[in-house]
Amino acid sequence: MKKIISTIIVIVLILSAGGVISAADEVTVGAVTPLTGKLAVYGEGFQKAMLLALDEVNAAGGINGKPMKIAFEDNNSTSKGSVSAIQKLITIDKFPVIFGPAASSNFLAVCPIAQQNKTILIAAESAAASISQCGSYVFRVFPSDLLQGKGVAELTQYLKYNEVVLTYINNDWGVGLADVFKDSFLKSGGKLIDEFAYDEGKTDYRSEILRIKKGSPRAVVNLTYVKEGAIMLKQAYEMKLEVQWLMGSAAKSPKMVELAGVAAEGVIGTYPTFSQDTAPYMAFKNGWDKKYPDQKTPIFGEYNYDMVKLTAEALKQTASMSADDIRSSLIKASKGFAGATGGKSFDENGDVGATYGRWTIKAGEITDYK
Amino acid sequence: MEYYAQLLLNGIIAGSIYALFAVGLTMVYGVFRFINFAHGELIAWGAYIAFFFTRSPFSLPIYLAALPALAIAAVIGLAQDRFVYRKLRHGNRITLLIASIGLSYFLRNGIRLIWGSDLQTYGLAPVRGFFFAGLSITPTQIAMTAAAIFFLGILYFILTRTLLGKCLRAVADNMTLAQVMGISIEKVSVTVWLLAAVFSAVGGILLAVDTNLEPLMGLTNLVKAFAAVLLGGAGNVWGALLGGLFIGIAENIGVAFISPGYKDFISFALIVLMLLFRPRGIFGIIGGFR
Repeated sequence: MKKIISTIIVIVLILSAGGVISAADEVTVGAVTPLTGKLAVYGEGFQKAMLLALDEVNAAGGINGKPMKIAFEDNNSTSKGSVSAIQKLITIDKFPVIFGPAASSNFLAVCPIAQQNKTILIAAESAAASISQCGSYVFRVFPSDLLQGKGVAELTQYLKYNEVVLTYINNDWGVGLADVFKDSFLKSGGKLIDEFAYDEGKTDYRSEILRIKKGSPRAVVNLTYVKEGAIMLKQAYEMKLEVQWLMGSAAKSPKMVELAGVAAEGVIGTYPTFSQDTAPYMAFKNGWDKKYPDQKTPIFGEYNYDMVKLTAEALKQTASMSADDIRSSLIKASKGFAGATGGKSFDENGDVGATYGRWTIKAGEITDYK
Repeated sequence: MEYYAQLLLNGIIAGSIYALFAVGLTMVYGVFRFINFAHGELIAWGAYIAFFFTRSPFSLPIYLAALPALAIAAVIGLAQDRFVYRKLRHGNRITLLIASIGLSYFLRNGIRLIWGSDLQTYGLAPVRGFFFAGLSITPTQIAMTAAAIFFLGILYFILTRTLLGKCLRAVADNMTLAQVMGISIEKVSVTVWLLAAVFSAVGGILLAVDTNLEPLMGLTNLVKAFAAVLLGGAGNVWGALLGGLFIGIAENIGVAFISPGYKDFISFALIVLMLLFRPRGIFGIIGGFR
């Protein structure tokens, strides 16, 4: 008797759990986000930006009347975590669209899985050039580093630094960007005095700075993240290393200025520009200020916001929830889409274009470099 | 030549902080016979409590904020023992190890819950270093080394010149026999945890002054401390000190020969080599601590 009752209870529970997952009155997409681990610094901001966009989508009627939901899955900022997270989202939850993890290494680890399982995977901040070859179901609203590497090389030549030291973070993103930079820079006649990679997540870069000092360069191209960039700038300042620092877009953050203080003055870098005077951007900014008062907009927040909004548009117009239909709908929806970060037309690789502007840090603020 | 001398100097400074971390870890091992994985969180909590006191409404300068930070870190260390480890003390050592891993998750995410995952900083302005004999050193680095020497000096004094120190060494040698001889295990436990917590917290605050604060700072430094402990022989305090210095120097000088991207490789390779050829460590002795 007891056995029969417990079996019935178990069956009921399983069915109801299945029922919750396959709720037909809402549209859920998955998201692999670094909510813990070394990228949690970025991940919290991404999540907030995505939730802001989600609120606005649902306030405007959701996906043809059905509310849209995002199921966040933490990846602990590692490739291994990203793979487990996406396996769960694909095989158990069977979401049609997944927002991919930050950090190109993590994204590259999961894109073959998404491609094989015919799931749409979208990135909001992964820059590695090799992502363009990930497959037909992989898209990104963030421009490829292929363009940024050229941008940094052009900036270096423009500022008349013909001989520089190149240093970068030792992961897929850093190595990829450094390769593209090297390619462009050497082709345009530049020379590398020294070149080396360094680990992310360290607290002491003094030996690296010493090695830079040894080459006595006038400028250093440092392709780095916020934390590592700040520590290097601070320690370089203390060790009296006076060079022109040239960086990419991953370090363009008020957080880096806050951490490095006066040591960050004068840094020049490139970033994919978008005008902050457009109506969509203002809408994003106002929405952010209302939902999260007194918090600075996070780095790449606008891209995450656009990614959610563009996906919502595509889901509204799609013929069905099959991957191929969503794919065509996404491409169509992107053609006229005006996001906070500008136009987002996808090319045949699922990439977007970009123009690269220049930023600098003056008097403790990040401004455009003229 | 100057280049290598500077690397050596940086290595000694970094190593003295690792030594502070390693000494606490090895003392806990010496007395209780397990590696406390939550040791790293004492480092992080020490730094974060000091951070808390530098903000309003206290707004203390960092050297004053350090005092309540040390006190609270000591309380956390004692609480670790009282609520988690004491009950498991006479059981399986693996149980203690796993309990410490669980505790480390709890404490680390406690930091994240209260202060968020974002990087924090004490907000001290960067200062130019001093130059002498072609070598550069900053006021912070001088403070780091001075603090390390000061605290390690106190430890030496306690361990060799006081009765309490002798009791510590006796308990580390053989806990049951020491109890039979009338030594109070309670007093010794309290002392060990106090020392471990204070040393870690001091190191953590100095590290945070030099760089910045983040929830993972305890974990990343625990690995270095662990390597130092293994190098010097688990339970050997002076071994841990030398181990810490050695790792600091090896990491920094290594940069001159191999790509800085492989800096971590050095600590881990050392651990592997040590365990393969001399598991007791350079100064290791079976049991107890000297």
